[in-house]
Amino acid sequence: MPSKHKLGAAASIEVPPALPADEAARLAFEHDRALTRHHFEEGEHPVVRIEHLNKTFDGATQVLRDVNLDVWPGEVVVVLGPSGSGKSTMLRCINLLEKPTAGHILIEDKEITGSAKTDVNKLRQNLGMVFQSFNLFPHLTAKQNVMIGQTKVLKKDKAEAAREAERQLEAVGLLDRADFKPAQLSGGQQQRVAIARAVAMHPDVLLFDEPTSALDPELVRGVLDVMRDLAENGGMTMIVVTHEMGFAREVADRVVFMEGGVVVEQGLPEKVFDHPENARTAEFLGSID
Amino acid sequence: MHDKTKRGRGRLRGLAGALVLALAIALAGAAALPDEAFALTTNKATARPNEDGGDGVIGGIATRLTWEGTVADGEELSSITLTLPDDASFADSTTRVTVLDGLNRINQDSTVSASGNSLTVDFASPIPADSLLRLEVEGMTFPSEGGDYVVSGSYVNDQGTQQLQDSPAISVIANTPLQQAVDWLDGQAWVAAWNANPFLGMFFRPQLLLTSFASLAPGWVLCLVIVLVAYPFAILLGLVAAFMKISRHRLLRAIAIVYINILRGTPLFLQIYIMFFGLPMVGVNINNNVLGVIVMAINSSAYLAEIFRAGIESIPRGQYEAAASLGMNHMQTMVSVILPQTVRRVIPTVTSDFITSYKDTSLLSSVGVMELMMFSKNLTTVTGNITPYMAAAIFYLIVTLPLIKVVGIVEKNLARSERGGGPRPKAQAAGRASEQGGDDEGLEVAGSSHAEASDADELPGALRALVAPFCAHNTFGGMADAE
Repeated sequence: MPSKHKLGAAASIEVPPALPADEAARLAFEHDRALTRHHFEEGEHPVVRIEHLNKTFDGATQVLRDVNLDVWPGEVVVVLGPSGSGKSTMLRCINLLEKPTAGHILIEDKEITGSAKTDVNKLRQNLGMVFQSFNLFPHLTAKQNVMIGQTKVLKKDKAEAAREAERQLEAVGLLDRADFKPAQLSGGQQQRVAIARAVAMHPDVLLFDEPTSALDPELVRGVLDVMRDLAENGGMTMIVVTHEMGFAREVADRVVFMEGGVVVEQGLPEKVFDHPENARTAEFLGSID
Repeated sequence: MHDKTKRGRGRLRGLAGALVLALAIALAGAAALPDEAFALTTNKATARPNEDGGDGVIGGIATRLTWEGTVADGEELSSITLTLPDDASFADSTTRVTVLDGLNRINQDSTVSASGNSLTVDFASPIPADSLLRLEVEGMTFPSEGGDYVVSGSYVNDQGTQQLQDSPAISVIANTPLQQAVDWLDGQAWVAAWNANPFLGMFFRPQLLLTSFASLAPGWVLCLVIVLVAYPFAILLGLVAAFMKISRHRLLRAIAIVYINILRGTPLFLQIYIMFFGLPMVGVNINNNVLGVIVMAINSSAYLAEIFRAGIESIPRGQYEAAASLGMNHMQTMVSVILPQTVRRVIPTVTSDFITSYKDTSLLSSVGVMELMMFSKNLTTVTGNITPYMAAAIFYLIVTLPLIKVVGIVEKNLARSERGGGPRPKAQAAGRASEQGGDDEGLEVAGSSHAEASDADELPGALRALVAPFCAHNTFGGMADAE
């Protein structure tokens, strides 16, 4: 496959149609069984299915090539890879912040790509996202940030949303900062508020796009602790794009290594970290440590 | 028959004829209205102007009242009393009594007694018939409130006390505090010295400055009304144009671009001329002030559209993505996330534009809108002095200087809030837990310290967004956006 496509090449990417749900679930079960710490039963269906995902920017730069990935309910998948490997793009394709060029993404067996008529806003309610740069609403307090999705999108009444906001802020250890504006919070605190904001929507899946990359090193731990708590005690399905190897090793059910827009290797954390099969994976993990 | 007599004699005999004519008329009048006959006719009653630089009579200030009457044939006048309405005063006045018989002055001993609003002259011996009586009362005052005043009174002849014929009315200008101040200034030595300087006297004449303030005030009010009425419409129009310009639809974008560029690319002066002279030509007649509002609103809307567009586009993409990832639709994102932030960012620029618009209402004077500039132009034309323009400058500055200050404060507050400075919420007092052990990121929980929503939450959202930059930036938020 050539590394660069000519203009208009995007349209020529041909992918097979999405598999029927049961068959896909069966195949994914067979495929993933040995690759994840997560326990799931035969007959269960993945919550996120990515089949033959391709993404081309400006019709020229192909950043994702035939990516296939299934994520099971309650699983924590950590995506690693050098910058430019397409891991953030893949994550953003899942909630359609980027429009896939070709391929299929299915959330709970419902296709959201291609010609499928998708209520994007409805879809995104079920896919919480935490951004590298937090993206808190600066004109709102921490509590209001956590409330706004509940009141505007879920149409909860204000008191109920406030109670939920307080619960979530308490869970991330920031109840005492409820009335602070984002600018008055440290980066780590802002990111924890952002996590509370996403969790308050009770999504099926939480997407983390390098949540600690913009933080000073001493602030990273607090955010990772919150994420770990969500994974271990909250049972949250999480797809985490990060460079935090320690977090990946400890918390991930499965580690996915991407490079050049391709999933190069995936498997149990200890397997990928300690005995990488792929030379690039080994090199990357070596350079990171 | 009367007419014939009048024409013939008047032309042939001059003054003598006129006297006879007067007599004839008097006789005719006496014949017609026997009860109203006046043996003493009032010829005139005037007051000497006491207005600085004008010819008006001002109440409450000393002036000279001149009263003239003619004693009729066969009458002898022994006393006369002049009466003015209650608040007039003859106190401290001096009266000069003149009696003329034809062209000869008759020395006539008289005593004058003034009390309050009436003045009585008693003659030692009666004034002969046909003589002219003139009373000049120096130092009397008319009532301060002004109005038209008639001199009435009575006189005494050999048949007893008679009613005096009412004089023609004397117009008196009210003596306002302003007028009093001007009069006071007139009497000050330093004012005279000040005005003796050609520059100061021409640009800053104190008396004229005072009267200018009073006369320009209605124009100033009209300026404010025009810009204050126009601006909300300008903001609405500007928002619409801004949204059209960032719209996905090519046609809407094109319309907005044409609208904005034409209005920003031509002088407001020209737009005023086109609207004020063009519309009547096609039969559209709109009240000048209303049309002024319309022109100002349309013109400002183009500038505001660009300000709003730039403001909206300055909001980082991450804000849209964060809103989208919560499941907000475009409308919710705009109303709850983007616009509240835009409002805060554009307040300084919008205020600057408001200042410009306010000043630009002066251009409306060219088409006859009676605003501040028009008033000062007129006053300068009348007085030949530049001081009214200086008064107008002060009227403009009264509004613009505080607004310029506001812009500065808002900009500083915004800059500070973006840095994360400024006062912190009270709840933070209990938040010291986070400082424990120097680990700001510890998972501290201080449940009891949580403060309820502040009073500011009771304000409507839009208003709160507007006032937010003026406040400590934690006090007001967009809680309404989360309602």
